[in-house]
Amino acid sequence: MRLWARAVYLSAVQLGLLSASLQAAPLNGEQLYDVACNACHSLGTAPDRRVGPALSGLLNRQAGTIDGYQFSEALSASGWIWRLPTLLAWLTDPDAAIPNNAMNYVNPLTAEETQRLSEWLLRQP
Amino acid sequence: MVVVGAGLSGLNAALILERWGFEVDVVEAKTRVGGRLWTLDHLPGSPEGGGNVMGAQYGRVVHMAHHLDIALRTPPRTLPSDYLIGDERISRDSWASAAANPLPEAWRTIPPQRLMGKLNETNPLLKTRAWHDPNLMASDQSAEVGLKALGFPNAAIELINANNSYGNNLSDTSLMALYRIMGEFGRLSGPALAVQEAILGNMRLPEAMAKQLSRPVSLGEPVVAIRHSPSRVQVALASGKTLEADAAILALPLPALEQIEINLSAAQTTLLKQIDYHKVVQLHCIVEAPFWEAAGWSGSWWTDGLLGRIFTRPIPNTSRYNMTVWINGDHCDPLNALDEAACTQTITQALWQLVPEARDVTSVGQLVRWSIDPYAGGVWALWRPGQAGTAHGAIRAPTGRLFFAGEHTAEAYRGMEGAMESGERAALEIMRVLA
Repeated sequence: MRLWARAVYLSAVQLGLLSASLQAAPLNGEQLYDVACNACHSLGTAPDRRVGPALSGLLNRQAGTIDGYQFSEALSASGWIWRLPTLLAWLTDPDAAIPNNAMNYVNPLTAEETQRLSEWLLRQP
Repeated sequence: MVVVGAGLSGLNAALILERWGFEVDVVEAKTRVGGRLWTLDHLPGSPEGGGNVMGAQYGRVVHMAHHLDIALRTPPRTLPSDYLIGDERISRDSWASAAANPLPEAWRTIPPQRLMGKLNETNPLLKTRAWHDPNLMASDQSAEVGLKALGFPNAAIELINANNSYGNNLSDTSLMALYRIMGEFGRLSGPALAVQEAILGNMRLPEAMAKQLSRPVSLGEPVVAIRHSPSRVQVALASGKTLEADAAILALPLPALEQIEINLSAAQTTLLKQIDYHKVVQLHCIVEAPFWEAAGWSGSWWTDGLLGRIFTRPIPNTSRYNMTVWINGDHCDPLNALDEAACTQTITQALWQLVPEARDVTSVGQLVRWSIDPYAGGVWALWRPGQAGTAHGAIRAPTGRLFFAGEHTAEAYRGMEGAMESGERAALEIMRVLA
């Protein structure tokens, strides 16, 4: 959520203007990343202390190839290149996409959210 | 928002929601945060009465610890176990040849604590995390029946049942739930199996998380009733206060939730009575000197009797040891029926009988009984045969403006990491509706 949007939202909450029946806007890529990825993957470029690899510059990166992480043999040998179709397949069901992977993750997102998150992730420089 | 329960799941959900502009009140029945993390700070070595290790794959827990400057370490190594079968003491080196080893020939070399690992020879959940997939669940059965069908000899099943951390008894335990747990271990190998703990105690993590919140956690505030409409939630506290919110996350164990007056779905109301929780009794002792060395024992024990298992580990930078008697499952029932003093006395008498030489150098520190803690009701949720296929989804399904978190609602993990994972999912569900 952009800062100005969050400020407007907070004001609305404080003024009691946010009706319970108001349809919430779909969660954006940044929100989805924060809830679903951030604990294990940073948006930096260098390895940090998170358990999974940093996700900056993900577009066109070969899966399981950057230094500093203990990837599964399955991911490293997959030859996958991270683009929208591969990322969508991976996030939707990692075990089906690349069996014996090391990412112990069950995706809680809807298909639409996964699409939005994937597109957003691949735009991160 | 109101979050009921200041364990890892509730605190993680609250932190995420605050990041996205929600005002969050966290209420906690106990006078401390942390839920089933409970560092016994009053004892030398600060042993863990609750969640004790952070798996190497616990990305959320470990990241949160680093983020909040909670120093971690590889735990001091627990001393190896010898065995007590019936009245027979068996050194760990002679297990395979000991007359008291009840296992048939092909199984004799497997020590009791590794018998459950044989499940991974047939485990369908080594290659998938879909542990409640209907296709897999269709063949779910009790672990007792399942292990027999897989060729586990009766003696092995009895030994597993003597100290089973993952079921109160094997007849009530889902085989698929055991596959799920053993699959988690089986997928890891080498360095990936390394575990960590917080140097100053694992409870420092939820304490630090609580400090990050804008509003202090309300401690010692049991919830007595929750009323909810499609758009509002009222949370009534035992103190007489009422909190109003757009939504609430119920991040507490099911036995604690069951005590709250609340309208849940029919399925959830039924499941609240059906889902079992694992029983654990621990007696934490402090040992001044390694009494086991003179007799040539190793320091820890695996028993098929009242004492369950005894885990002994050195207290760093001292000459003392933490020794924990750890009793699992239905074996806790007679102990839980006693008052605290009688329970402690029963366990210590059995301990002095096993190792009389311990008596002069061992002091009793703390009895921990999770099943009779009204705000825990056990250490973690158990799945009965066939239950995980539908119960797991139903018990966590949002009901109006009520959302659910806690390790029992987690998908990919159990324990501390499962709690953190569930907090993310509950926050996500609320953000979908209200962000």
